[in-house]
Amino acid sequence: MNKINIIIKREYFTRVKKKSFIVMTFVVPILFLALVFIPAILSQKALTVSKVLVVDQTLVEKNGVKSSLFLNKFKNNDELTFVYGYDIKKAQDDLIKKEYDAVLELVKTNDNPPIKGFLYYGENELSLVSQQAIQNQLTDIFKNHILTYDYGMSEKDLAWFNDPKIGFYSKNILSGEDSNKGVQTVLSVILGFIIYMFVFMFSSQVMRSISEEKMNRIVEVLVSSIKPIQLLMGKIVAIALVGLTQLLLWGVFFAIMIFSLQGIYPDAFNSSKNENITITQKVPASASFNEAIAENSEINKIIQQVFSINYGLVLSTFLFYFLAGYFLYAALFGAVGALVDVDTDVQQFTLPITIPLIIAMVCFPLIINSPSGGVAFWLSIIPLTSPMVMMMRIPFGVPAWELILSMAVMIIFIAFCVYIAAKIYRTGILMYGKNITYKEVWKWLKYKN
Amino acid sequence: MALFSVKDVSKTYSNYKALDRVSIEVEKGEVFGLLGPNGAGKTTLIRIINQITAPDEGEIFFMGEKLRAEHVQMIGYLPEERGLYKKMKVGDQAIYLAELKGLKKAEAKKRLEFWFEKFEISSWWDKKVEELSKGMQQKVQFITTILHEPKLLIFDEPFSGFDPINANLLKQEILSLKEKGATIIFSTHNMESVEEICDSIALINKSKKILDGKVTEIKQRFNENLYEIIIPSSFNIEEIKMEGVEIRAITPKQLTQELVLKIDNEQKADFISRIISKTNLISYRELLPSMNQIFINAVSKQ
Repeated sequence: MNKINIIIKREYFTRVKKKSFIVMTFVVPILFLALVFIPAILSQKALTVSKVLVVDQTLVEKNGVKSSLFLNKFKNNDELTFVYGYDIKKAQDDLIKKEYDAVLELVKTNDNPPIKGFLYYGENELSLVSQQAIQNQLTDIFKNHILTYDYGMSEKDLAWFNDPKIGFYSKNILSGEDSNKGVQTVLSVILGFIIYMFVFMFSSQVMRSISEEKMNRIVEVLVSSIKPIQLLMGKIVAIALVGLTQLLLWGVFFAIMIFSLQGIYPDAFNSSKNENITITQKVPASASFNEAIAENSEINKIIQQVFSINYGLVLSTFLFYFLAGYFLYAALFGAVGALVDVDTDVQQFTLPITIPLIIAMVCFPLIINSPSGGVAFWLSIIPLTSPMVMMMRIPFGVPAWELILSMAVMIIFIAFCVYIAAKIYRTGILMYGKNITYKEVWKWLKYKN
Repeated sequence: MALFSVKDVSKTYSNYKALDRVSIEVEKGEVFGLLGPNGAGKTTLIRIINQITAPDEGEIFFMGEKLRAEHVQMIGYLPEERGLYKKMKVGDQAIYLAELKGLKKAEAKKRLEFWFEKFEISSWWDKKVEELSKGMQQKVQFITTILHEPKLLIFDEPFSGFDPINANLLKQEILSLKEKGATIIFSTHNMESVEEICDSIALINKSKKILDGKVTEIKQRFNENLYEIIIPSSFNIEEIKMEGVEIRAITPKQLTQELVLKIDNEQKADFISRIISKTNLISYRELLPSMNQIFINAVSKQ
């Protein structure tokens, strides 16, 4: 036991003190945050506002008063500002002089509907999104005009009519949970990916470490002092501890970064709350109505979902599947490390091991679409894919028996793999300069000790 | 009393028998040569002694007890395929290997300082192993092998990779370890070094032990009663021809001639007196077979 501790201590500290470990600890959270925030920041800063001149030639007459249908009706937004003019010739000249980015000409026709819009542009075409937005506004303004003038609808009724905010809910009658799973989906992908990355990263470290000891021949000295199984277990445990240390450091680092970012840009974190308040305040109606709207608002839904997730379960299953997945793959990769004599042989033996990992990755979309479906179920029971797939299913809720079954199968399979790996390891580490085939490996498994 | 004995040990790897009922006895305080051509099974036997692999059959005794896991602390092993962690510092690595053999860190450090000074390599303490030459690495590895003062030392081809100066240094160290009471098993196919330092040997060929015993005794056993005499070249050999004396070789030199003769024991005294009465006997010595010859004869006979 004491000797395993010596092994663990060395394996752990040489890794933790490595430059690459320290770099990873700092760089990964920064990269991750950058991945999340840079697109958001870019999309805010890089927006250019296009100026559109509206030339409205659709004078309508109502009760002897002539008015223009679209005058001052277009709403400005982040991408578009609207100005109004009358002379289409002058407008087109100005467009060429780049005073505007586009000119929207609205004309009356004898068709049904009796309005047509023409969008002119010069050097730069407006983005498809902007064009779509203009078209939508055009339709809305026309529709509202008909409703107010022809049907006499009040402005308030109109607002309600356009967006009556009909509540729509779907509930699981077994668990009583909301079935809108936006947040769950995001969490599911993140968890699946992180566990894939960690399992792969740390278990392949076991392989490299073993083949390094074999190739520089120190292993024979080591196994004359301790049992091969002790050396193997010491190494696997030490690298698991390195993984947990890295995880813990990342957790702490993330927390610090989020807190400090909150200090620098408080708005970015509070904006959602503000919006939420304005939405609920806008509607001065009965309490139940107000509540319904509040409940219906997207942001509230997200907040509800965020709180509906059982984080204790997520965290504990994450730890279990990280460690279990790591132990399983560490045993398999470890066996490969003991088999190979030259780096170039690695490919031949790692391929069958990486295939299940890749299958799990390929099935990601399938699992998100149907987290309790057949594929998801079976892949979360089969131990080679269960760490990734079960973690993806957890945010959506998994029946307890499935979770217990998956864990039990996993533990049994780990015991089996460690047993096999130890056998291969014991023979493999002392086998030099021999071209090792699968047939040969099969023979080793049958040796008695 | 034998410090170490192997009794009827066999080991089979799937379809290939690496050791076939091999028995050896190593006396306390001797240097025991484990000889044999490549692939004879020496390394397998050494790995069994180090408990790296287990035998299929047979028993091994160390200091009168059956070999147990704890005994590894009393055994030092320098494998033929040597190696250290390339990126690890020399000092840290030596301490690590000593700890694995059961030494406390402080004690390991103290002893290492002594040995590093003795081998004049103290300045390497903080260097990474990859910065050292191969010969330097061998020195470090030798120190790590003997640091825990094992009762039994096993050297597998210790001189390979050493230059003549360092090989000599190593030989002196091995002999001084023996003087201090260590027992040494020494595996090699370098027969010169066997004659110089081994007290006993066992010869293994094709998984079987084919010869063992004390070196002096084995040499006597293979003694063919060969003698070398040097006499003046002017002397006519016909004059000393007699019953029971057979001339095996004649090498004429400028003033002398060297003869290799096979002389029956009963005729030895007669022959010497006869030759002395007839000519000037410049040199006379018994030709014992070299270990090299014994090795080659024994192996090729099988």
